[in-house]
Amino acid sequence: MSAIVVKDISKRFKIPHHKKTTLFQNMVGLVKRQMTYEEFWALKDVSFEVQRGETFGIIGRNGSGKSTLLKLLAMVLYPDSGTIAINGKVASFLELGAGFQPELTAKENVYIYSSILGMNRKETAKIYDGIFEFAELKRFEDMKLKNYSSGMYLRLAFATAIQTDPDIMLVDEVLAVGDEAFQKKCILKMNEFRERGKTIIFVSHALESVRSICTSAILLHNGSVVARGAAEPVIRNYLELLK
Amino acid sequence: MPELWRYRELIWNLTVVELKNRYQNTGLGFIWSLLSPLLMALVLFFIFRYLFQQEPNFAAYLLVGLMAWRFFAICTTSSVYSIVGKGSLVTKVYIPRRILVLSNTISNLISSLLEFIIIIPILFAVSGSLPVTILLFPLVFLIYFWFVYGASLFLAALYVYFRDLNQIWEVLVTTLFFLSPIFYPMSAIKGAMPVYLLNPLTEFIIIFRDLMIYGKIPTLYSLSIVCVASIASVLIGSLIFNRLQRRFAEEI
Repeated sequence: MSAIVVKDISKRFKIPHHKKTTLFQNMVGLVKRQMTYEEFWALKDVSFEVQRGETFGIIGRNGSGKSTLLKLLAMVLYPDSGTIAINGKVASFLELGAGFQPELTAKENVYIYSSILGMNRKETAKIYDGIFEFAELKRFEDMKLKNYSSGMYLRLAFATAIQTDPDIMLVDEVLAVGDEAFQKKCILKMNEFRERGKTIIFVSHALESVRSICTSAILLHNGSVVARGAAEPVIRNYLELLK
Repeated sequence: MPELWRYRELIWNLTVVELKNRYQNTGLGFIWSLLSPLLMALVLFFIFRYLFQQEPNFAAYLLVGLMAWRFFAICTTSSVYSIVGKGSLVTKVYIPRRILVLSNTISNLISSLLEFIIIIPILFAVSGSLPVTILLFPLVFLIYFWFVYGASLFLAALYVYFRDLNQIWEVLVTTLFFLSPIFYPMSAIKGAMPVYLLNPLTEFIIIFRDLMIYGKIPTLYSLSIVCVASIASVLIGSLIFNRLQRRFAEEI
């Protein structure tokens, strides 16, 4: 059973020569006929499949379209053509703690953040203790979030997201969370996650971490897939590309 | 719709956050937010009292009109920012984006209902009694809610692409204030009546006054007008919002 099926997706960005952000500028532009823009294809006819239980790496140089692809999978962007089918609940880690409210306490924020991930209050109450235990922040649950350090902030976000028990995790190099010990905990958690048959999509140019956790991968170059398959050969392809 | 139900928790959470931010200093925050419309009503009352003497209960007339107007005006002007102002919830994570507009509209609905509750004793004091028809008020207010929600969807989506919309809309809202029978009686504009009723706000305000002051049940005709206005507003608003939301993450 496939967790994700991506078929022939393309994504085009329009880059206007004159940035027009107001109605007034648009009307002036219409009169002057300056509606020109450049097209930039961030992704072109990309297809791949991810099986359930796989840890799937997306690698490539800067500007190769990795992040665009991840955003498309997270349904933040929409493709201009092609289809994406996703089976299961997705948690995207494009940015940890999107929607956190600094004026509210950690406790309130956990409830808000998990509702962003589609949980209701009862479900959150069940995992609540697990979140603070994992984040090691039990002492600070009633503190306002604006008084949290950035490390605590990210730990809380990561713990919440992982405890909501998604089927598919989209990870964009956010593993640099917290200190060494916490990072190890995250890796352990992700391994456990995988063993339970869950799917991880991992975007990175840190080849070492790709090598250690990914089972298969694709290599993107200028918006197209140039290699796919088991992680190791794809990484070798990438290293050749860099030369 | 089933998707919105799944995210009900989030809708409610965002509404609460909105309200908390609005009334940050708790008790006093709410009092301030009430003081401004009441002062406004007082000023309008003293200015126009003599001009519109033919209106028997001008104070009540003014209060109901002003409060009904405020829901539309305040909600739409704040909804303009409900997508752009929540950047990270649009660009970093998937949620049905109309939730952002919906929760802003609900939080304004709650504020507005509180304002209406506060003016009920005042209405009682100036008219000596309250009509039974006031019980129908929540029903019509619910129809009004959808009308405002549709307009909010439209504005929030358009503002992502046209960043001067907030200023344009402020001018339009002010214009609408004078085009709606808020501080002058309907009899003052008899000649222009047919054109005048094209403004759906007028119809809503008339119904609210009938229910809260005059004890009149709205006619089927005026009820169908407001229903059609609300349905059209939600349909058009959603249609435009759904089309435009595809590129929200790129434009913010």
